[in-house]
Amino acid sequence: MRKTSIAVLLACSLVNAMALAQTQKESAPLAPNVKVGGPAPDFTLMDQNGQSHSLHDYRGKKNVALAFYLWAFSPT
Amino acid sequence: MRSFQQNLAKLEAADTQVLGVSMDNPYVNKAFADENGVTFPLLSDFGGTVTRQYGIYKEYDKFKTKIPAARRVTYLIDTNGKVVEMQEDADAVDPTKTVTACERRKLKG
Repeated sequence: MRKTSIAVLLACSLVNAMALAQTQKESAPLAPNVKVGGPAPDFTLMDQNGQSHSLHDYRGKKNVALAFYLWAFSPT
Repeated sequence: MRSFQQNLAKLEAADTQVLGVSMDNPYVNKAFADENGVTFPLLSDFGGTVTRQYGIYKEYDKFKTKIPAARRVTYLIDTNGKVVEMQEDADAVDPTKTVTACERRKLKG
């Protein structure tokens, strides 16, 4: 009985460790190299009214000022 | 984002679409837009995929924990999808440089 519980505990911690490793891998930057003169990665994201916007929608039509901000309601 | 709203007419006159992006969900962005009179799209990068692709995903120490968000960076992207200007952090709060860059490009074009 005791041996079984130890085995179960070990299995659980292994699964946890694997999950943790996965999370850390996901949080690593994919391409931290968007630079002046280089291409801007395409994206499709939803706005505050539920409408989708893609960077490629503006190709050949308009410049895009893509302004990243930290949080809504953050000062400035 | 309020400062972009104040400069929106100038940016639009220079053929530039303003898109705000954060890792907030669309409901929070809706409330934020309504309260501050923001009329341009505020895009929701919930989960941070695009923020990571641009390499500006960061964890901030707030409320004794780490909160992930984007750094404050403005990219000016031309009609060929190329980054032509970039303002980072404190420089990105005031969009004057972006406005000037857009107007300069407009003159050239």
